[in-house]
Amino acid sequence: MTPPVNLSVVGSAVIYLALVTGVGIWAAGRTKSAKDFFIAGQKIGWIVTAFATMSAAFSGFVFMGGPGLMYRVGVASLFICIPVGFTSGFLCWVVGKRLRLLAGLREIYTVPDVILVRYGSRRASGLAAVAVIIGTIGYLGAQIQALGILIEMVFGTRAVLGQWSLPAAMILGCAVVVFYATAGGMVAGVYTDLFQGILMVAAAVAVFYYCLHSGGGLEAMSRSIVGSEVFGPSHLDPFGTLPVMTAVGFFFVFAVGLLGQPHMLHKFFMLSDPRALKWMPLVIGLTQSACVLIWLGIGLAVPALVAHGRMIALVNPDQAAPQFLLSFTPPILAGMVFAGVLAAIMSTADSFLNIGSAAIVRDLPKAFGRRVPNEFFWGRVAVVGIAGIAAVFAFLYQDLIALVGTFAFGTFAAALAPAVAIGLNWRRVTATAATASMATGMVVNLGLEFLSKQTFLDWLPSVSLKAGVLPAAVSLSASFTVLLFLTWLSPAETQPDLDPDVEFVMDL
Amino acid sequence: MLVCGWFEGFVPELSFVLLVMAFPAALIALAVARDGKLGPLCLPLLALTLMLEVCGIAMLLLRGQILEAPWFGGFPVAAAIQIYGLWLGPLLLVALAYGLTFDHWELREEDLRRFDARRNRSDGNTEG
Repeated sequence: MTPPVNLSVVGSAVIYLALVTGVGIWAAGRTKSAKDFFIAGQKIGWIVTAFATMSAAFSGFVFMGGPGLMYRVGVASLFICIPVGFTSGFLCWVVGKRLRLLAGLREIYTVPDVILVRYGSRRASGLAAVAVIIGTIGYLGAQIQALGILIEMVFGTRAVLGQWSLPAAMILGCAVVVFYATAGGMVAGVYTDLFQGILMVAAAVAVFYYCLHSGGGLEAMSRSIVGSEVFGPSHLDPFGTLPVMTAVGFFFVFAVGLLGQPHMLHKFFMLSDPRALKWMPLVIGLTQSACVLIWLGIGLAVPALVAHGRMIALVNPDQAAPQFLLSFTPPILAGMVFAGVLAAIMSTADSFLNIGSAAIVRDLPKAFGRRVPNEFFWGRVAVVGIAGIAAVFAFLYQDLIALVGTFAFGTFAAALAPAVAIGLNWRRVTATAATASMATGMVVNLGLEFLSKQTFLDWLPSVSLKAGVLPAAVSLSASFTVLLFLTWLSPAETQPDLDPDVEFVMDL
Repeated sequence: MLVCGWFEGFVPELSFVLLVMAFPAALIALAVARDGKLGPLCLPLLALTLMLEVCGIAMLLLRGQILEAPWFGGFPVAAAIQIYGLWLGPLLLVALAYGLTFDHWELREEDLRRFDARRNRSDGNTEG
């Protein structure tokens, strides 16, 4: 990206970083136990939870990568984000109520805790913890890398620090997130998420207005794109630029796969009252949709402006958002959006720091039948440790971490979605079926993604799926299939004896 | 190279679209059914399934016909179906169906009384 160093952008970023640090200091005084640290004491209201869920779900990709992808492939890219139309209700119906009720009856702070209680299997819970740790390192490393690149761009540090610019920027961004995530745990996480979520929504809506304004409205922009030689009609055809299997595969993975995302499921444990679920889908759906407006708006405006000759065609599509913001919006709004992108990255990162730390301090030891004596203290230590590991990976293996980051969503989806979503709603699902499904999801997804994209090890075979079939869609389908078939094939005498609390919750 | 040639062509594409669009509603039905009944959620779930399926099929049939097809809401009709039919339509349908049926289906007063009683009996949280 072109470094857009200007005072509004720098000022917004500094104010933003100071505010989230302040929230961390405030939250530190309210974090006194492992329950406070991991699930914010289970005292969070529905609006805060809804905003926290939304902002944790959306990383900087929605603000920067999305418009760039739409510039490149047109409206087909929207299949990644339009499932937000129904996924909030989908999530609450399929898993939200039962996760919250179980967390009210048992000491449940994490998704592997849920797996342990539901299936009574330490092996299944341990496997879920491994999936969470692998995905967390990938997701977190990618966020830290993005944070470093953005801070470097905003503050223009490359001109001063040269080759040390990126590591310095990564350390600065990482230090702020680690500070508030360590000091205030999930209390800091959800309240910074609330602030970050409001900032993201306000920035996205304002930018959408400027997109409509600069492009002359939706129809004018659309007609310019359709009539353009550079883009043409296929740009506005949902199946015009990507194979159907890819486009609909995105829809499948990003809708159904949501049921396995621990950073979203985790938020249900924090709700103060199960009744608070009632209007959460409306708030999550509306706020997510508001954020997606930036993807749609810039994704339409920039090609339309290029078609009109008011912008030059982009060499790097990822420049779509920064170029538009710096050329067509007031400096203060550009600054606000850059702060919004920082917010989106940090809100995702703080969620992963927390669940990654919980996986190390709680879930893995429990899988081996042990407990760490002071989870609160060691949870804080683990936050620093996991951030350090992810940052080192992100710096040393920049290409690899970007690759891992892109398939972390698929890993979570394939490993956890069937065991959680079907397991909480169908008594017959056995621990064996859940374990096999998780193992299948992880192995197939990591194997296919790695073999299809890696360029580090020449001797490994290259695997590619024809007709645009997504590895994540294959692995998610495979893990659902394994779980369903093994459950159907299980003889009646192997049907699990459910824990009474689990049985009670599944009855409601 | 994995060979997945059977994924190419209209029939496999249509089958994939039909399956993907039906899957979310099927999972919701599994989760919300009480004694095998969907109660007040029957109609909203049917509407969601139809909305997703019809939009998916329509986009598939309209593929490559942007110039010939009419426009709606600022977009060629295929893109309008994608944006209004797959995104904004389900947003209102699902969020309102969830909120409006919550008290008398998703989590009834009777359920909450039983839940509170059980929680009190188990003396708060126990080991997970």
